[in-house]
Amino acid sequence: MAEVTIRDLRKAYGALEVLHGVNVDIADGQFVVLVGPSGCGKSTLLRMIAGLEGVSAGTISIGPRVVNNLPPSDRDIAMVFQNYALYPHKTVAANMGFALKMARMDKAEIDSRVARAADILGLKPYLARYPRELSGGQRQRVAMGRAIVRNPQVFLFDEPLSNLDAKLRVQMRAEIRELHQRLATTTVYVTHDQIEAMTMADRIVVMRDGHIAQIGAPLELYDRPANAFVAGFIGSPAMNLLDGVVERDGAGVAVRAGENLLPVPDGPGLEAGRKVIYGIRPEDLALAEDGIAATVAVVEPTGSETHVVLRISGRDLVAVFRERHAFHPGDVIHLAPQAGKVHVFDAASGDRIG
Amino acid sequence: MANPRGRERRILRLLSVPMALLALSCVYPVYFAVNNALKTNRNYIMDRFGLVTDLTFDNFVQAWTRSNLDTYFVNSVLVTGGAVLLLLLVSSLAGFALALLRFPARRLVFVVILASLMIPVQVVLVPFYQTIIGLGLLNTRIGLILSYTAFFLPFSVYLMTAFYAGLPRELMEAARIDGARLLQVWWFVMLPMGRPALITLGILNTLYCWNDVLISLLVLQDKRTMMVGIAALRGEYTTNVPLLAAGIVLAAAPIVVLYLVFQRQIVAGIATGAVKG
Repeated sequence: MAEVTIRDLRKAYGALEVLHGVNVDIADGQFVVLVGPSGCGKSTLLRMIAGLEGVSAGTISIGPRVVNNLPPSDRDIAMVFQNYALYPHKTVAANMGFALKMARMDKAEIDSRVARAADILGLKPYLARYPRELSGGQRQRVAMGRAIVRNPQVFLFDEPLSNLDAKLRVQMRAEIRELHQRLATTTVYVTHDQIEAMTMADRIVVMRDGHIAQIGAPLELYDRPANAFVAGFIGSPAMNLLDGVVERDGAGVAVRAGENLLPVPDGPGLEAGRKVIYGIRPEDLALAEDGIAATVAVVEPTGSETHVVLRISGRDLVAVFRERHAFHPGDVIHLAPQAGKVHVFDAASGDRIG
Repeated sequence: MANPRGRERRILRLLSVPMALLALSCVYPVYFAVNNALKTNRNYIMDRFGLVTDLTFDNFVQAWTRSNLDTYFVNSVLVTGGAVLLLLLVSSLAGFALALLRFPARRLVFVVILASLMIPVQVVLVPFYQTIIGLGLLNTRIGLILSYTAFFLPFSVYLMTAFYAGLPRELMEAARIDGARLLQVWWFVMLPMGRPALITLGILNTLYCWNDVLISLLVLQDKRTMMVGIAALRGEYTTNVPLLAAGIVLAAAPIVVLYLVFQRQIVAGIATGAVKG
């Protein structure tokens, strides 16, 4: 096991730079998730750690070693691919033992390690089968088995659950997490699914356009997003973001968004006239007699909660209620944002204010 | 309005006429060769197209022993076997490199190989012959093996490159991460995965090498291969047709056996090569 340190890492394909100086510290044994929309550079970053992509500038260290110029085989890492990348002509046992065979390990030792990994992953009955004879979830487990038999310093996962159906994804999510708790191996996990990131990570690295938008613990990112991008990306349904202008009077500070005046707690940086983005999470909107009037557009009951799409002076907002309300499209309801749950971002840079 | 099923049947019946003619044009030479190989020369002269009346296997014995087809057969087997093995080895390595590795001028190399696919053998015969003499490979089996490899390599490399390009790149990356060096990736992953394409290629190249007359005639002038030997069975003024037919049947037999044995794999190989592995 080892820590991974990434310093000012850049990647360019010809003139096109896709990673613009990325810095990440991953502590020993930590489960870090790289998350972001398609094309943000998260997979490139993972592949650079794996050694499958070259480094244009900066350094990647695994433990005390800078591994920039080491081939993948010498980095002591294991990787699980999105499409599993199992060798179709080898049995499950041969797939799992391949890396050990390459390391010229004794056959008896290979067999015992494969058996131990198969035991952990519940693959014992399938060791003699070929990948084509397995279900998607079993293949995913074999891919994980192939990684854990080697007892590597770092596990790398590249969107490993994307090819599974929703139910299996939830199950495998828990299994991967459990495996990490058991082995405590440093793990870097790439996904575009923010729910996966929130539920699995010790720390999340949110990426956007080759930059890091924010690094932090899942709830830290949720409660205090550093910018409007993270605010909109983390959380489902997404945070409501409204463009507005800061207004001040004797009573306090508020953001004017269209016809509505939305109160915000006073703080530094909220000068009158500043263009800002007002953010409020759907569950932080509560019904209030003296609140802002909103027209119900769509009601989406999920069972445990109800998502309501509302229209406030031409803009869409989403509110989530735990209680069951009998709202109908066209109803007018009154809402008030919960104090202390409001986020304000600069309109130009998107950075958090206060 | 005509019943569409009836119309379809009529079209099928119409199509079956040219198809039957095509099939006949393929089957007739086989019938002609086998039928006449079993006739005596007298029987053949008396009745060229009729069925055999006085059955004999003398032509086969004569062709095999007195016309040296036994020696030529060994030559053909050695040269074809050697060339096919070399072709499979080189094209699999080249296909792996061209499809999955990144190196400077990779596209250019591939384009040059493709371009050489367009050049007919006849055009390069003179420089080819001079090169063979210059290398001291004239009249050597290894010379012919290398010549076949050179001439049939572009197509083989093209096929293997296309096949490997259809495989998920992650397989190679997974093997690299599993600690395999490049040649180990090829040996442990790419070679076994290329099996369907390699079988197809093996059969096709066996066919080309075995049936070749032109290149063989140039390179192996004393030690002939089977096909050149058969061509030599034709006399300048008269030809013993039953003897020639027996030679043809003997020469075609190994290929027919090979096809019958690998029939399933050939069809599967072509199908596997056609769709993404």
